[in-house]
Amino acid sequence: MTVLEVESLSKSFLAPSGEHVTAIQELTFDVAAGEFVCIVGPSGCGKTTLLKCVSGLMAPSQGVVRVRGAVVDGTPDELAVVFQDYSRSLLPWMSVEQNIQLPLRYKGLSRSEIDRLTGEAINAVGLGEFEAHYPWQLSGGMQQRVAIARAIAYEPSILLMDEPFASVDAQTRTDLEDLLLDIWRRFEITVLFVTHDIDESVYLADRVLVLDRRPTSIRTVVEVPLERPRDQLKTKADPAYADLRSQVFRAIRRQEEGFEDR
Amino acid sequence: MRRLRHLAQEMMVPVGLVAAFGLWSARAESFYFPSLTRIVERFSDVWLFDRVVPDLVPSVVRMISGYGIAVILGIATGLLCGCLPTLRVGVDPIVQFMRALPSPALIPFVILILGIGDAMKVTVIFTGALWPILLNTMDGAMSVDETMLDMAKTYHLPARARLRHVVLPAASPRILAGMRTSLSIAIVLMVVSEMVASTNGVGYFVLSSQRSFAIPDMWSGIIVLGILGYVANIAFVRVERQLLYWHRGANGLAVDDTSRKLQI
Amino acid sequence: MTSVAPVRSSRFPRRRPTPKNVLGRITGVASLLILLELASRGELIPSQWFPPITETYARLAELAITGDFWRNVGLTLQGWASGLAIAIVIGVPVGILIGLSPHLYRSLRLVIEFLRPIPSVALVPLAVLLWGTGMGTKVFLVGFAAFWPLLFQALYGVGEVDPVARDTATAYRLPRMARFWHITLPSAVPFIATGVRISSSIALILSVVAELVAGSPGIGREIALSQASLAIPTMYALIIAIGLLGWGLNTALLTLERRVLGWHTPYRPNGGRHT
Repeated sequence: MTVLEVESLSKSFLAPSGEHVTAIQELTFDVAAGEFVCIVGPSGCGKTTLLKCVSGLMAPSQGVVRVRGAVVDGTPDELAVVFQDYSRSLLPWMSVEQNIQLPLRYKGLSRSEIDRLTGEAINAVGLGEFEAHYPWQLSGGMQQRVAIARAIAYEPSILLMDEPFASVDAQTRTDLEDLLLDIWRRFEITVLFVTHDIDESVYLADRVLVLDRRPTSIRTVVEVPLERPRDQLKTKADPAYADLRSQVFRAIRRQEEGFEDR
Repeated sequence: MRRLRHLAQEMMVPVGLVAAFGLWSARAESFYFPSLTRIVERFSDVWLFDRVVPDLVPSVVRMISGYGIAVILGIATGLLCGCLPTLRVGVDPIVQFMRALPSPALIPFVILILGIGDAMKVTVIFTGALWPILLNTMDGAMSVDETMLDMAKTYHLPARARLRHVVLPAASPRILAGMRTSLSIAIVLMVVSEMVASTNGVGYFVLSSQRSFAIPDMWSGIIVLGILGYVANIAFVRVERQLLYWHRGANGLAVDDTSRKLQI
Repeated sequence: MTSVAPVRSSRFPRRRPTPKNVLGRITGVASLLILLELASRGELIPSQWFPPITETYARLAELAITGDFWRNVGLTLQGWASGLAIAIVIGVPVGILIGLSPHLYRSLRLVIEFLRPIPSVALVPLAVLLWGTGMGTKVFLVGFAAFWPLLFQALYGVGEVDPVARDTATAYRLPRMARFWHITLPSAVPFIATGVRISSSIALILSVVAELVAGSPGIGREIALSQASLAIPTMYALIIAIGLLGWGLNTALLTLERRVLGWHTPYRPNGGRHT
């Protein structure tokens, strides 16, 4: 069952210089329920714009985004977003627990429901002892985990992630990747994950969508039939992994070098 | 041992100055600079506790009232204007002009409308102290991080929740900076309004003492104003430290930093 | 009193007005003026105390061609300028010295902490006692008040040298004098520039205070006189005049600051960040 449909999405802006800039051109893709889809592309190709359109933060110039058949106009209720810059999306004046609870307080839930969801989310990301801490007292990786917990507590069916591990060091990143896969399985959500890290995209995804240079659209789709559950050592040692990785790499390279492949 | 040495260093100059002044003034018998003992004598006579109720209390009450109204209206209006771009753009030049206008210049105007009573003084204080708070609140509300606002949107936080949990706290460092400036202005205006037209108050006391050549009294009044300023400042810093606990932490400052920079 | 928390120079730089902004701003001011005009003419506010704006501006125009008006402006500015100059000449070097020397700082800290909270206006009667109602009183008060922000900004500025720059200088074994001129002082300049702007507005306030309370000649005194003699449009006209003066001085200093300090991070577009 398709939960997310993006159909002929186009987005252009009026740049400060006065010119018309087309960030996205006729972009189309679908995401099925429970899928883990990664989006990769060269820098500046409009990944963030795409995410903003899909999440309802921005209206498309043309085309349409549908979540469970309903046209997206503002963020749909079943969608939660995890932003790249956790220090700017978490509220520094609230504790970890308060940050996670904040969206829940306005969902019309009972006190006990809110507490339950918060507790589950905090434990799911492994931050049980840090409820009363403030985000800035935690490391970068832990802060991003708080952001993820906040998203999960909201009980979305779709998780949108904008390069969430880009600002985190490499070792922490592998932990977070595995944590994310664990959560994805346990909570049975659909994940749309934007990244510039090719290794990460292949490791995590069922499918990798490679974006064009600007004006961007889906250039290549790489299916990732690797075994699940994925493992940092075993999966990455699999020759199929290396092969898929180079497929994605080549697809991106082609865009960057501007080879006419259309 | 080092701390003791530092303490001695710190005390050296003040003690020396006080002693020097004490000696000089006792000898010189200057009219304008009476002896230290005389000043201390008058200070305890007057301010402990004869004139506290007739003069000190009214002054403090006026200042707090004027300042308090400025804070409440300034923050409320500032948030409103900060969040509504059209309103903000229109209001901004007016606020900028009023901020640049030297607030004592409005005293004759307020006297014209309200006479010389308490209402006049509270109004004068308010009309001076309002603008830095308003300006800073507007600025603060405008500068809330875009990612934070996006986050609030994706989680469907209603407008009042956004204001209370995102905009107001995010703007609070700036608001408090404005409140600090306004505090100085409030004190200045309290004193000046009492000197220009009043029948009581510490400012009035200092001026009338000078006019009736009760010079030690005048000095005692100046000292009281100094103490008032000092206490107001300390109180403000304490409150600010409490409220902005998270801000200091988030910006990498140690949370109970007592380094000299922050003391100043 | 100047309870100035050390101000990072324009940590909050203002946006430059875009064409759309300018229209909005003019509309805002125009709406207010029209509102006041109508309120006065329609007697919503007693026109005796609140004459129509047009009358006030007409009066201002009349005053602006009299010699007396400009003489008073000059007197107010004279107090402002002299006091400010003294405050800069004394306050900045002293602030730098104290900032550079922990020893000096420790010795003087209590003195500063004691003197600083005294609101400068508390000294008006003292100044009148010593210098009467002339320019001396005004300059003393302005100077005393304007001194403190400059002192603290200079003090703070000297202490805010980027540690990386400082360490680089040490690594290259720059001699002390060179380090001061090429690294410490330039880092302090933005703070001092902000201090000048803050002190300038304080200086104007104290100039007006001296005129109001001590009766020193100047615009402030003229405002008080016109209120006492119920020359109401004149009073308003003069208030607007001094508002424009204050606004003009502030704008001039801001522009100067921007020009001179284009290199300083908060003034670069995008706050210096690479986006």
